[in-house]
Amino acid sequence: MYEERFDKRKFDELRSIEAESGIIANAKGSARFRIGNTEAIAAVYGPQDVKPKHFEKVDRGIIMCKYDMMPFSVPDRAKPGFDRRDMEISEVITNALNRAVILEELPRSMIDVRVYVSQADAGTRCASLCAASIACADAGLPMRDLVAAVAAGKIGDSICLDLTKEEEDFHEGGATDVPIGFLPSKNEIVLLQLDGKVSREDLKKIIEIGKVGASKIYEIEKMALKRRFLNESES
Amino acid sequence: MDNYDYIREIAKKKMRLDGRKSDERRHLSIKTGVINHSDGSALVELGGTKALAGVKVLPGEPFPDRADEGGLIVNFEASELANNYESDRIMYSVEVGRVTDRGIRESNIIDLKKLVIEAGKKVLFVYIDIFAINNDGNLLDVANIAALSALVNAVYKIEGSEEKVPLPLNLDKLAISHTFVKISDTILLDPSVSEENAADTRLSIAVGEKINSMQKGGSGFFTAEDVDYCAGIAFAKKEEVKNLLTKAVKR
Repeated sequence: MYEERFDKRKFDELRSIEAESGIIANAKGSARFRIGNTEAIAAVYGPQDVKPKHFEKVDRGIIMCKYDMMPFSVPDRAKPGFDRRDMEISEVITNALNRAVILEELPRSMIDVRVYVSQADAGTRCASLCAASIACADAGLPMRDLVAAVAAGKIGDSICLDLTKEEEDFHEGGATDVPIGFLPSKNEIVLLQLDGKVSREDLKKIIEIGKVGASKIYEIEKMALKRRFLNESES
Repeated sequence: MDNYDYIREIAKKKMRLDGRKSDERRHLSIKTGVINHSDGSALVELGGTKALAGVKVLPGEPFPDRADEGGLIVNFEASELANNYESDRIMYSVEVGRVTDRGIRESNIIDLKKLVIEAGKKVLFVYIDIFAINNDGNLLDVANIAALSALVNAVYKIEGSEEKVPLPLNLDKLAISHTFVKISDTILLDPSVSEENAADTRLSIAVGEKINSMQKGGSGFFTAEDVDYCAGIAFAKKEEVKNLLTKAVKR
Protein backbone atom coordinates (compact mmCIF):
# COMPACT_ATOMS: atom_id res chain seq x y z
CA MET A 1 0.00 0.00 0.00
CA TYR A 2 1.17 3.48 -0.83
CA GLU A 3 -1.27 5.97 0.66
CA GLU A 4 0.82 9.06 1.15
CA ARG A 5 3.74 10.04 -1.06
CA PHE A 6 7.18 10.24 0.52
CA ASP A 7 7.40 13.94 -0.29
CA LYS A 8 3.75 14.60 0.68
CA ARG A 9 2.71 15.51 -2.87
CA LYS A 10 -0.74 14.71 -4.21
CA PHE A 11 -0.75 11.70 -6.52
CA ASP A 12 -1.32 13.87 -9.58
CA GLU A 13 1.05 16.66 -8.51
CA LEU A 14 4.30 17.52 -10.30
CA ARG A 15 7.45 18.46 -8.45
CA SER A 16 8.50 22.11 -8.68
CA ILE A 17 9.75 22.98 -12.17
CA GLU A 18 12.18 25.55 -13.51
CA ALA A 19 12.89 26.04 -17.21
CA GLU A 20 15.29 28.48 -18.76
CA SER A 21 16.46 28.93 -22.35
CA GLY A 22 19.56 30.54 -23.84
CA ILE A 23 21.94 29.54 -21.04
CA ILE A 24 24.85 28.58 -23.31
CA ALA A 25 25.86 31.69 -25.21
CA ASN A 26 27.88 29.96 -27.93
CA ALA A 27 25.27 27.33 -28.80
CA LYS A 28 22.61 27.91 -31.45
CA GLY A 29 20.00 26.96 -28.87
CA SER A 30 20.19 25.86 -25.24
CA ALA A 31 18.08 25.18 -22.18
CA ARG A 32 18.06 24.05 -18.59
CA PHE A 33 15.10 22.08 -17.24
CA ARG A 34 14.74 21.19 -13.58
CA ILE A 35 11.97 19.10 -12.05
CA GLY A 36 12.39 18.50 -8.32
CA ASN A 37 15.93 17.26 -7.84
CA THR A 38 16.36 16.23 -11.47
CA GLU A 39 18.09 18.68 -13.77
CA ALA A 40 19.18 18.52 -17.42
CA ILE A 41 21.15 20.94 -19.58
CA ALA A 42 20.86 20.84 -23.38
CA ALA A 43 22.69 22.48 -26.26
CA VAL A 44 21.74 22.46 -29.95
CA TYR A 45 24.13 23.10 -32.84
CA GLY A 46 23.09 23.29 -36.47
CA PRO A 47 21.60 22.85 -38.97
CA GLN A 48 25.08 22.13 -40.34
CA ASP A 49 26.74 19.86 -42.91
CA VAL A 50 26.31 16.15 -42.23
CA LYS A 51 29.34 14.32 -40.86
CA PRO A 52 30.03 11.50 -41.63
CA LYS A 53 28.85 12.26 -45.14
CA HIS A 54 27.12 8.91 -45.78
CA PHE A 55 24.47 9.69 -43.11
CA GLU A 56 23.18 12.50 -45.31
CA LYS A 57 19.55 12.33 -46.46
CA VAL A 58 18.61 14.19 -49.63
CA ASP A 59 15.00 14.80 -48.63
CA ARG A 60 15.33 15.66 -44.93
CA GLY A 61 17.65 16.54 -42.09
CA ILE A 62 18.92 14.23 -39.36
CA ILE A 63 19.22 14.66 -35.61
CA MET A 64 22.28 13.40 -33.76
CA CYS A 65 21.41 13.33 -30.08
CA LYS A 66 23.57 12.33 -27.17
CA TYR A 67 22.50 11.94 -23.54
CA ASP A 68 25.08 11.65 -20.76
CA MET A 69 25.17 11.87 -16.98
CA MET A 70 27.65 13.98 -15.06
CA PRO A 71 29.58 11.90 -12.49
CA PHE A 72 28.30 13.96 -9.56
CA SER A 73 24.64 13.70 -10.61
CA VAL A 74 23.93 10.53 -8.62
CA PRO A 75 24.44 9.47 -4.97
CA ASP A 76 27.43 7.28 -5.95
CA ARG A 77 29.76 8.53 -8.64
CA ALA A 78 28.67 7.70 -12.20
CA LYS A 79 31.71 6.64 -14.18
CA PRO A 80 32.39 9.32 -16.80
CA GLY A 81 31.66 8.28 -20.37
CA PHE A 82 28.98 6.85 -22.61
CA ASP A 83 27.50 3.51 -21.52
CA ARG A 84 24.71 1.23 -22.81
CA ARG A 85 22.04 3.00 -20.79
CA ASP A 86 23.13 6.38 -22.20
CA MET A 87 22.98 4.89 -25.70
CA GLU A 88 19.44 3.64 -25.30
CA ILE A 89 18.19 6.90 -23.80
CA SER A 90 19.91 8.89 -26.56
CA GLU A 91 18.01 6.74 -29.05
CA VAL A 92 14.55 7.23 -27.54
CA ILE A 93 15.11 10.98 -27.19
CA THR A 94 16.25 11.15 -30.83
CA ASN A 95 13.10 9.31 -31.90
CA ALA A 96 10.92 11.82 -30.09
CA LEU A 97 12.78 14.80 -31.52
CA ASN A 98 12.59 13.31 -35.03
CA ARG A 99 8.84 13.71 -34.83
CA ALA A 100 8.87 17.13 -33.13
CA VAL A 101 11.29 18.84 -35.51
CA ILE A 102 10.07 19.28 -39.11
CA LEU A 103 13.08 17.57 -40.68
CA GLU A 104 11.61 17.74 -44.20
CA GLU A 105 12.37 21.45 -44.13
CA LEU A 106 16.06 20.85 -43.41
CA PRO A 107 17.29 18.57 -46.23
CA ARG A 108 20.96 17.52 -46.33
CA SER A 109 21.65 18.92 -42.88
CA MET A 110 22.46 17.66 -39.40
CA ILE A 111 21.35 18.94 -36.03
CA ASP A 112 23.49 18.11 -33.01
CA VAL A 113 21.65 17.84 -29.71
CA ARG A 114 23.65 17.33 -26.52
CA VAL A 115 22.02 16.72 -23.18
CA TYR A 116 23.77 16.32 -19.85
CA VAL A 117 22.09 15.41 -16.59
CA SER A 118 23.60 17.44 -13.76
CA GLN A 119 21.31 16.12 -11.04
CA ALA A 120 19.37 12.87 -11.07
CA ASP A 121 16.34 11.95 -8.99
CA ALA A 122 14.37 9.80 -11.47
CA GLY A 123 12.79 11.04 -14.66
CA THR A 124 16.09 12.05 -16.25
CA ARG A 125 15.09 11.02 -19.78
CA CYS A 126 11.91 13.07 -19.55
CA ALA A 127 13.75 16.10 -18.16
CA SER A 128 16.38 15.66 -20.88
CA LEU A 129 13.75 15.53 -23.59
CA CYS A 130 12.07 18.67 -22.23
CA ALA A 131 15.43 20.50 -22.13
CA ALA A 132 16.32 19.27 -25.63
CA SER A 133 12.99 20.35 -27.07
CA ILE A 134 13.21 23.84 -25.53
CA ALA A 135 16.77 24.10 -26.89
CA CYS A 136 15.59 23.10 -30.39
CA ALA A 137 12.91 25.79 -30.31
CA ASP A 138 15.48 28.26 -28.94
CA ALA A 139 17.71 27.40 -31.92
CA GLY A 140 14.86 28.45 -34.21
CA LEU A 141 14.33 25.02 -35.77
CA PRO A 142 11.00 24.43 -37.52
CA MET A 143 8.90 22.34 -35.13
CA ARG A 144 5.50 20.69 -35.10
CA ASP A 145 5.32 21.31 -31.36
CA LEU A 146 7.41 21.30 -28.19
CA VAL A 147 7.80 17.95 -26.47
CA ALA A 148 6.47 17.84 -22.92
CA ALA A 149 7.61 14.69 -21.16
CA VAL A 150 7.01 13.30 -17.70
CA ALA A 151 7.16 9.93 -15.98
CA ALA A 152 3.95 8.54 -14.56
CA GLY A 153 3.41 5.16 -12.99
CA LYS A 154 1.92 2.96 -10.36
CA ILE A 155 3.29 2.55 -6.88
CA GLY A 156 1.63 -0.10 -4.79
CA ASP A 157 -2.04 0.46 -5.74
CA SER A 158 -1.76 4.13 -6.52
CA ILE A 159 -1.40 5.80 -9.91
CA CYS A 160 1.25 8.51 -9.53
CA LEU A 161 2.61 11.38 -11.56
CA ASP A 162 6.29 12.35 -11.72
CA LEU A 163 7.98 9.60 -9.70
CA THR A 164 11.07 10.24 -7.56
CA LYS A 165 13.94 7.78 -7.21
CA GLU A 166 12.65 6.82 -3.79
CA GLU A 167 9.28 5.94 -5.33
CA GLU A 168 10.84 4.07 -8.25
CA ASP A 169 12.63 1.86 -5.72
CA PHE A 170 9.43 1.21 -3.73
CA HIS A 171 9.36 -2.51 -3.00
CA GLU A 172 6.10 -3.31 -1.23
CA GLY A 173 3.65 -3.98 -4.06
CA GLY A 174 6.20 -2.90 -6.64
CA ALA A 175 6.57 0.21 -8.75
CA THR A 176 5.89 0.66 -12.44
CA ASP A 177 7.56 3.50 -14.26
CA VAL A 178 6.18 4.87 -17.54
CA PRO A 179 8.08 7.76 -19.12
CA ILE A 180 5.84 9.49 -21.66
CA GLY A 181 6.58 12.31 -24.10
CA PHE A 182 3.76 14.23 -25.77
CA LEU A 183 3.37 16.78 -28.52
CA PRO A 184 0.54 18.38 -26.54
CA SER A 185 -1.15 20.46 -29.22
CA LYS A 186 -1.07 17.53 -31.68
CA ASN A 187 -2.17 14.96 -29.13
CA GLU A 188 0.71 12.69 -30.18
CA ILE A 189 2.81 10.41 -28.01
CA VAL A 190 6.42 10.48 -29.18
CA LEU A 191 8.17 8.71 -26.32
CA LEU A 192 6.78 5.77 -24.38
CA GLN A 193 8.53 3.20 -22.27
CA LEU A 194 7.39 1.02 -19.42
CA ASP A 195 8.96 -1.20 -16.86
CA GLY A 196 7.03 -3.00 -14.18
CA LYS A 197 3.61 -4.55 -14.47
CA VAL A 198 0.21 -2.91 -14.89
CA SER A 199 -3.20 -3.86 -16.28
CA ARG A 200 -4.63 -2.40 -19.45
CA GLU A 201 -7.02 -0.26 -17.38
CA ASP A 202 -4.17 1.08 -15.26
CA LEU A 203 -2.10 1.94 -18.32
CA LYS A 204 -4.98 4.07 -19.60
CA LYS A 205 -5.10 5.92 -16.30
CA ILE A 206 -1.31 6.34 -16.25
CA ILE A 207 -1.28 7.88 -19.72
CA GLU A 208 -4.19 10.15 -18.77
CA ILE A 209 -2.45 11.42 -15.62
CA GLY A 210 0.76 11.86 -17.66
CA LYS A 211 -1.10 13.88 -20.26
CA VAL A 212 -2.47 16.29 -17.67
CA GLY A 213 1.02 16.66 -16.15
CA ALA A 214 2.58 17.19 -19.57
CA SER A 215 0.13 19.98 -20.39
CA LYS A 216 1.38 21.85 -17.29
CA ILE A 217 5.00 21.27 -18.30
CA TYR A 218 4.13 22.52 -21.81
CA GLU A 219 3.02 25.89 -20.41
CA ILE A 220 6.28 26.22 -18.42
CA GLU A 221 8.33 25.38 -21.52
CA LYS A 222 6.54 28.05 -23.53
CA MET A 223 7.12 30.59 -20.74
CA ALA A 224 10.86 29.82 -20.77
CA LEU A 225 11.03 30.65 -24.47
CA LYS A 226 8.83 33.72 -24.24
CA ARG A 227 10.85 35.10 -21.33
CA ARG A 228 14.05 34.82 -23.33
CA PHE A 229 12.71 36.78 -26.26
CA LEU A 230 10.99 39.37 -24.07
CA ASN A 231 14.34 39.99 -22.34
CA GLU A 232 16.07 40.32 -25.67
CA SER A 233 13.66 42.91 -26.99
CA GLU A 234 14.03 44.97 -23.82
CA SER A 235 17.82 45.10 -23.85
CA MET B 1 38.64 32.87 -37.61
CA ASP B 2 37.00 35.61 -35.62
CA ASN B 3 38.77 38.98 -36.12
CA TYR B 4 42.11 37.15 -36.36
CA ASP B 5 44.09 39.89 -38.10
CA TYR B 6 42.49 42.69 -36.16
CA ILE B 7 43.25 41.09 -32.78
CA ARG B 8 46.88 40.54 -33.80
CA GLU B 9 47.16 44.11 -35.04
CA ILE B 10 45.78 45.86 -31.96
CA ALA B 11 47.69 43.50 -29.63
CA LYS B 12 50.86 45.24 -30.79
CA LYS B 13 49.50 48.37 -29.09
CA LYS B 14 48.53 46.34 -26.00
CA MET B 15 44.89 46.72 -26.90
CA ARG B 16 42.10 44.12 -26.81
CA LEU B 17 38.78 43.75 -28.61
CA ASP B 18 36.73 44.01 -25.43
CA GLY B 19 38.67 47.04 -24.17
CA ARG B 20 40.39 45.23 -21.30
CA LYS B 21 43.92 46.02 -20.14
CA SER B 22 46.51 43.38 -20.98
CA ASP B 23 46.56 42.11 -17.37
CA GLU B 24 42.84 42.41 -16.69
CA ARG B 25 40.61 39.44 -15.96
CA ARG B 26 37.00 39.27 -17.11
CA HIS B 27 34.17 39.38 -14.55
CA LEU B 28 34.31 36.31 -12.30
CA SER B 29 31.23 34.86 -10.62
CA ILE B 30 31.19 31.83 -8.30
CA LYS B 31 28.08 30.01 -7.05
CA THR B 32 28.47 27.05 -4.73
CA GLY B 33 26.22 24.28 -3.46
CA VAL B 34 24.42 23.93 -6.79
CA ILE B 35 24.32 20.11 -7.07
CA ASN B 36 22.28 18.08 -4.59
CA HIS B 37 23.94 14.71 -4.91
CA SER B 38 27.49 16.05 -4.70
CA ASP B 39 29.39 16.65 -1.47
CA GLY B 40 30.54 20.02 -2.78
CA SER B 41 29.86 21.88 -6.02
CA ALA B 42 30.38 25.15 -7.84
CA LEU B 43 29.21 26.92 -10.99
CA VAL B 44 31.87 29.35 -12.17
CA GLU B 45 31.55 31.96 -14.89
CA LEU B 46 34.48 33.98 -16.17
CA GLY B 47 33.13 36.34 -18.79
CA GLY B 48 31.19 34.02 -21.08
CA THR B 49 33.07 30.87 -20.09
CA LYS B 50 31.11 28.58 -17.81
CA ALA B 51 31.99 25.37 -15.95
CA LEU B 52 30.31 23.19 -13.35
CA ALA B 53 32.34 21.23 -10.78
CA GLY B 54 31.21 18.56 -8.33
CA VAL B 55 33.15 16.86 -5.55
CA LYS B 56 32.42 13.41 -4.22
CA VAL B 57 34.11 11.84 -1.22
CA LEU B 58 33.87 8.06 -1.41
CA PRO B 59 35.63 5.20 0.39
CA GLY B 60 37.94 2.87 -1.50
CA GLU B 61 41.12 0.81 -1.34
CA PRO B 62 44.33 2.87 -1.20
CA PHE B 63 46.88 2.81 -4.03
CA PRO B 64 49.41 0.03 -3.20
CA ASP B 65 52.35 2.45 -3.16
CA ARG B 66 50.52 4.95 -0.95
CA ALA B 67 48.87 2.81 1.69
CA ASP B 68 48.67 5.58 4.28
CA GLU B 69 47.07 8.25 2.08
CA GLY B 70 43.66 9.01 0.66
CA GLY B 71 43.28 9.63 -3.06
CA LEU B 72 42.62 12.65 -5.24
CA ILE B 73 41.12 12.18 -8.69
CA VAL B 74 40.53 15.15 -10.97
CA ASN B 75 38.56 14.69 -14.17
CA PHE B 76 37.75 17.45 -16.65
CA GLU B 77 35.33 16.95 -19.49
CA ALA B 78 35.22 19.34 -22.40
CA SER B 79 31.52 18.51 -22.69
CA GLU B 80 29.67 18.51 -25.97
CA LEU B 81 27.49 21.34 -24.76
CA ALA B 82 30.22 23.47 -26.34
CA ASN B 83 31.88 22.68 -29.66
CA ASN B 84 34.60 25.30 -30.10
CA TYR B 85 37.55 23.76 -28.25
CA GLU B 86 41.02 24.74 -29.42
CA SER B 87 42.03 21.14 -30.10
CA ASP B 88 40.35 17.75 -30.29
CA ARG B 89 37.73 17.47 -27.54
CA ILE B 90 39.17 14.35 -25.93
CA MET B 91 42.78 15.58 -26.06
CA TYR B 92 41.72 18.93 -24.63
CA SER B 93 39.80 17.20 -21.81
CA VAL B 94 42.90 15.26 -20.86
CA GLU B 95 45.20 18.28 -20.95
CA VAL B 96 42.97 20.56 -18.88
CA GLY B 97 42.22 17.72 -16.46
CA ARG B 98 45.87 16.93 -15.89
CA VAL B 99 46.94 20.55 -15.47
CA THR B 100 44.10 21.18 -13.00
CA ASP B 101 45.05 18.00 -11.14
CA ARG B 102 48.69 19.06 -10.82
CA GLY B 103 47.82 22.53 -9.56
CA ILE B 104 45.68 21.08 -6.78
CA ARG B 105 47.89 18.11 -5.93
CA GLU B 106 51.20 19.94 -5.82
CA SER B 107 49.86 22.78 -3.70
CA ASN B 108 49.18 20.19 -0.96
CA ILE B 109 45.95 22.00 -0.19
CA ILE B 110 44.40 18.64 0.79
CA ASP B 111 46.08 16.70 3.55
CA LEU B 112 45.57 13.25 2.04
CA LYS B 113 47.07 11.59 5.12
CA LYS B 114 44.01 12.67 7.10
CA LEU B 115 41.72 10.73 4.74
CA VAL B 116 42.75 7.29 5.98
CA ILE B 117 40.05 5.17 7.63
CA GLU B 118 42.13 2.01 8.09
CA ALA B 119 45.76 2.15 6.97
CA GLY B 120 46.41 -0.05 3.93
CA LYS B 121 42.79 -1.15 3.65
CA LYS B 122 40.33 1.69 3.46
CA VAL B 123 40.82 5.33 2.63
CA LEU B 124 38.71 8.15 1.24
CA PHE B 125 38.94 9.25 -2.37
CA VAL B 126 38.17 12.82 -3.33
CA TYR B 127 36.77 12.91 -6.85
CA ILE B 128 36.58 16.29 -8.55
CA ASP B 129 34.61 16.26 -11.80
CA ILE B 130 34.55 19.43 -13.88
CA PHE B 131 32.30 19.99 -16.90
CA ALA B 132 32.70 22.80 -19.39
CA ILE B 133 29.29 24.25 -20.25
CA ASN B 134 30.23 27.16 -22.49
CA ASN B 135 33.65 27.99 -23.93
CA ASP B 136 34.49 31.64 -24.40
CA GLY B 137 38.18 31.11 -23.74
CA ASN B 138 40.43 30.27 -20.79
CA LEU B 139 38.80 27.06 -19.61
CA LEU B 140 42.06 26.25 -17.81
CA ASP B 141 41.49 29.00 -15.23
CA VAL B 142 37.76 28.36 -15.02
CA ALA B 143 38.32 24.63 -14.41
CA ASN B 144 40.87 25.44 -11.69
CA ILE B 145 38.63 27.96 -9.92
CA ALA B 146 35.55 25.71 -10.21
CA ALA B 147 37.48 22.73 -8.81
CA LEU B 148 38.85 24.73 -5.88
CA SER B 149 35.48 26.33 -5.10
CA ALA B 150 33.76 22.93 -5.08
CA LEU B 151 36.55 21.53 -2.91
CA VAL B 152 36.28 24.31 -0.34
CA ASN B 153 32.49 23.91 -0.43
CA ALA B 154 32.70 20.14 0.19
CA VAL B 155 31.55 18.42 3.36
CA TYR B 156 31.45 14.67 3.96
CA LYS B 157 30.25 12.16 6.51
CA ILE B 158 32.71 10.23 8.61
CA GLU B 159 31.63 6.60 9.02
CA GLY B 160 29.49 5.99 12.05
CA SER B 161 28.70 9.65 12.48
CA GLU B 162 25.84 11.73 11.13
CA GLU B 163 27.76 14.96 11.27
CA LYS B 164 29.27 16.35 8.09
CA VAL B 165 32.75 17.80 8.24
CA PRO B 166 34.74 19.89 5.74
CA LEU B 167 37.71 18.33 3.96
CA PRO B 168 41.14 18.71 5.60
CA LEU B 169 42.18 21.76 3.58
CA ASN B 170 44.76 24.44 4.19
CA LEU B 171 43.24 27.49 2.54
CA ASP B 172 46.53 29.41 2.60
CA LYS B 173 47.71 26.98 -0.04
CA LEU B 174 44.97 27.61 -2.61
CA ALA B 175 46.84 27.58 -5.93
CA ILE B 176 45.02 29.83 -8.40
CA SER B 177 45.60 29.31 -12.11
CA HIS B 178 46.47 32.26 -14.35
CA THR B 179 46.51 31.74 -18.08
CA PHE B 180 48.26 34.04 -20.53
CA VAL B 181 48.54 34.11 -24.28
CA LYS B 182 51.20 35.76 -26.35
CA ILE B 183 49.99 37.61 -29.46
CA SER B 184 52.40 39.64 -31.61
CA ASP B 185 54.86 39.85 -28.66
CA THR B 186 52.20 41.13 -26.26
CA ILE B 187 51.19 39.05 -23.26
CA LEU B 188 47.51 39.02 -22.32
CA LEU B 189 45.92 37.60 -19.15
CA ASP B 190 42.65 35.61 -19.39
CA PRO B 191 42.28 35.22 -23.17
CA SER B 192 38.85 35.14 -24.79
CA VAL B 193 38.21 32.42 -27.36
CA SER B 194 39.00 34.72 -30.28
CA GLU B 195 42.26 35.74 -28.56
CA GLU B 196 43.14 32.07 -28.07
CA ASN B 197 42.57 31.52 -31.79
CA ALA B 198 44.80 34.45 -32.70
CA ALA B 199 47.53 33.57 -30.19
CA ASP B 200 51.04 32.31 -30.91
CA THR B 201 51.30 30.47 -27.63
CA ARG B 202 49.78 30.02 -24.18
CA LEU B 203 51.09 29.72 -20.62
CA SER B 204 49.20 28.68 -17.47
CA ILE B 205 50.68 29.22 -14.04
CA ALA B 206 49.00 28.10 -10.81
CA VAL B 207 50.32 30.01 -7.80
CA GLY B 208 49.64 29.45 -4.13
CA GLU B 209 52.42 30.10 -1.65
CA LYS B 210 54.78 29.05 -4.44
CA ILE B 211 54.36 28.27 -8.12
CA ASN B 212 52.64 24.89 -8.12
CA SER B 213 52.13 24.12 -11.78
CA MET B 214 52.88 25.48 -15.21
CA GLN B 215 51.83 24.42 -18.66
CA LYS B 216 52.83 25.87 -21.98
CA GLY B 217 50.47 25.27 -24.87
CA GLY B 218 50.59 26.09 -28.56
CA SER B 219 53.58 26.04 -30.82
CA GLY B 220 55.02 29.54 -30.29
CA PHE B 221 57.65 30.51 -27.73
CA PHE B 222 58.18 32.48 -24.53
CA THR B 223 61.44 34.07 -23.39
CA ALA B 224 62.64 33.66 -19.80
CA GLU B 225 61.69 37.31 -19.24
CA ASP B 226 58.16 36.58 -20.50
CA VAL B 227 57.80 33.73 -18.04
CA ASP B 228 59.02 35.88 -15.16
CA TYR B 229 56.63 38.65 -16.20
CA CYS B 230 53.68 36.20 -16.19
CA ALA B 231 54.68 34.79 -12.80
CA GLY B 232 54.82 38.35 -11.44
CA ILE B 233 51.27 39.08 -12.60
CA ALA B 234 50.04 35.73 -11.25
CA PHE B 235 51.43 36.49 -7.77
CA ALA B 236 49.99 40.01 -7.88
CA LYS B 237 46.52 38.93 -9.02
CA LYS B 238 45.96 35.72 -7.07
CA GLU B 239 44.66 37.41 -3.89
CA GLU B 240 41.80 38.97 -5.85
CA VAL B 241 40.55 35.54 -6.90
CA LYS B 242 41.26 33.96 -3.52
CA ASN B 243 39.19 36.60 -1.76
CA LEU B 244 36.31 36.15 -4.16
CA LEU B 245 36.51 32.39 -3.80
CA THR B 246 36.59 32.31 -0.01
CA LYS B 247 33.77 34.87 0.13
CA ALA B 248 31.61 32.87 -2.30
CA VAL B 249 32.06 29.60 -0.43
CA LYS B 250 30.33 29.24 2.88
CA ARG B 251 32.17 26.67 4.94
